[in-house]
Amino acid sequence: MSTLLHSYTPPSAPLGLRPRPSRCLRPLRFQVGRMGNSVVRAQAATEVTEAATSEGLKKGIAEFYDESSGVWESVWGDHMHHGFYEPDTAASLSDHRPAQIRMIEEALSFAGVSDDPMKKPKTIVDVGCGIGGSSRYLAKKYGAQCRGITLSPIQAQRAQELAAAEGLADKVSFQVADALQQPFPDGEFDLVWSMESGEHMPDKMKFVSELARVAAPGATIIIVTWCHRDLSPSEDSLKPDEIALLNKICDAYYLPAWCSASDYVNIAKSLSLENIKTADWSDNVAPFWPAVIRSAFTWQGFTSLLRSGWKTIRGALVMPLMIEGYKKNLIKFAVITCTKPN
Amino acid sequence: MRLLTHNMLSCNIKGVTNGFPLKLEADKWVTKEVDLNADFLRGIFPKIEWSALLAAARVLGFAELPEQADASMLSSDDFLRRFHHALLELHVEEGALVCPETGRKFPINKGIPNMLLHEDEV
Repeated sequence: MSTLLHSYTPPSAPLGLRPRPSRCLRPLRFQVGRMGNSVVRAQAATEVTEAATSEGLKKGIAEFYDESSGVWESVWGDHMHHGFYEPDTAASLSDHRPAQIRMIEEALSFAGVSDDPMKKPKTIVDVGCGIGGSSRYLAKKYGAQCRGITLSPIQAQRAQELAAAEGLADKVSFQVADALQQPFPDGEFDLVWSMESGEHMPDKMKFVSELARVAAPGATIIIVTWCHRDLSPSEDSLKPDEIALLNKICDAYYLPAWCSASDYVNIAKSLSLENIKTADWSDNVAPFWPAVIRSAFTWQGFTSLLRSGWKTIRGALVMPLMIEGYKKNLIKFAVITCTKPN
Repeated sequence: MRLLTHNMLSCNIKGVTNGFPLKLEADKWVTKEVDLNADFLRGIFPKIEWSALLAAARVLGFAELPEQADASMLSSDDFLRRFHHALLELHVEEGALVCPETGRKFPINKGIPNMLLHEDEV
């Protein structure tokens, strides 16, 4: 896999058409060798302009998931998030769906969401809902109404189909919408759920503000997300090699700049959210990426990838970098929960 | 998009103070039967903005909801049936949701509303 990465070269992009995350720019000298100077300058200018707007990021995210959701679903099923495993276990492919369910249950348990009929959530929002795995699971578990939002029209469509197929069309509905501008009135939901979508949010403060805004008084907010390690008191930023590694991952997965779990905690505090708790679940997700890589090398995984598109393949090629990031204790898998004051 | 969902959506364009309820324009809609669950209806009733539901149902040609509704009506089977039908059985497949303040239209395609804002609306 590492040999592949050394020879990894992105395709030359038509002028201005490749969306870029706002803060993870590939070094521009990389393109110089591939095109003439004046074209490079024009492309660089367009890329910077596009990078400067979050429109480029949103479009990139939507296109990435429009293209790759089908592949993921065919190999992994309808939950597009990490499984939760006992530390230091090797997991086989058949363990993963239960592990993904366990991830949901562990997050609910950590947050203290009640099963009690009087106290359980009745309305739920799934922010960054993918193809609706969490939405359907939570709606079934609590008998609740769930609204999912995603930037990807294809995901929303697929989520709706799966809901109808499971007889949940009257409980869950999906909308194409932006997590940073949620199309809901204030205080609408008893449970605000973000399972591995926080990584895509370019403005973490705005993201958490919106979660807080749509939360009803007393509601629970659950964020499960990739973060970078907390900075030590003497540090202003991550080390250069750490930043370089994260940048490579950002590019492939349409991620804006990373933050730490402590950053989320501080944001929650600044919004006067209560009962703020966080935990590092990095050891509990360690088996996940090796398993995803192995699945890419199964016949089904491999042929699905070939049939998908460049964005999906690039995402697959970058998977070893995730493992590297976890091994270096740079990438962390964090849960952050809190409640809206009454 | 069911009217239950419509009842939960609002326009979030920057500066808009009166973004709810969104006006419904429907080009194509269908009825999909769903089993009536009285407990559910009684539980969701307090969260429903009645005038928004009333107006949206009318757009879809269903005029059998009372002008006003209060919790005492929930003991009437007849009321529950009408409430259930409007809330859960009418599905807008193609149309738009219109911001009451700006007139901006959010399209509904294949039953899914697209609430994404343009850059200048953020």
